[in-house]
Amino acid sequence: MFERFTVQARDVVRGAVAARERLGHRNVGTEHLLLALLDPARSSVAELLDQAGVDAARVAEAIDRKLGRGTEEFGDRDAEALRSIGIDLAAVRSKLEESFGAGALEPPPSRSSRRGLFGGWDFSSRFSARAKKVLELALREAIQLRHREIGAEHILLGLLREGQGLAALLLTEAGVDLADLRRRTLDSLRSAA
Amino acid sequence: MSQATDLAAAAGSTDPRVGLRAVVALRRLLERLEVVQVDNARRQGWSWQEIADALEVSRQGVHKKHAGRASARTQGGA
Repeated sequence: MFERFTVQARDVVRGAVAARERLGHRNVGTEHLLLALLDPARSSVAELLDQAGVDAARVAEAIDRKLGRGTEEFGDRDAEALRSIGIDLAAVRSKLEESFGAGALEPPPSRSSRRGLFGGWDFSSRFSARAKKVLELALREAIQLRHREIGAEHILLGLLREGQGLAALLLTEAGVDLADLRRRTLDSLRSAA
Repeated sequence: MSQATDLAAAAGSTDPRVGLRAVVALRRLLERLEVVQVDNARRQGWSWQEIADALEVSRQGVHKKHAGRASARTQGGA
């Protein structure tokens, strides 16, 4: 399936992987795909999303609010949550550092995150079921439209069709009418063709 | 101290987000602690079986989870 992705669509997927790493989340989810689609350097639909009133910075903030930065980073939100059940993370950290040295509680270096699936694609294993579904749906959209290649537009269509993930929620919260955005995306594909 | 009251407050919080977020943070802390302690045990020459027994899990489980990490692979061999 991935050989049918355009260079740009691959770049979007890579961007999603990078966003996951940057945010320290466990899996690439629909929200990371959305962040990548919002990046005008990677994605031709960034403008379309911008016109629909989706603001990249605000989406990033909303993701932060909903998920925190977290799995690997072990940040303030965790400290706060642990405090709520009476655990002082700073105390735990300092005890451990006393015995095992500075940074004892920091994450271990990630274990061969580049295992070279699809030529450095770090795929499948790190994608949430929904994110995989979005990419499958992107393929299906392309087939339905009789397009040979899958571009950023198809990924967006897949995201909108999936409709259940965090990305869809973020879009809805940004005031986007998903059906309308779908129409606009199809229009832009048509005018590009 | 106030720890007990904090705990009681969280346990009794009507907002599931607060309580569930605490569960997540605790799980993360647990994961980190496990890494620190398993690595330490390996450095001190403990076998996977000994570590598994101490953690009350299977040897296969603990090996699968930790053996891939460079810091857990030590001099002691397999």
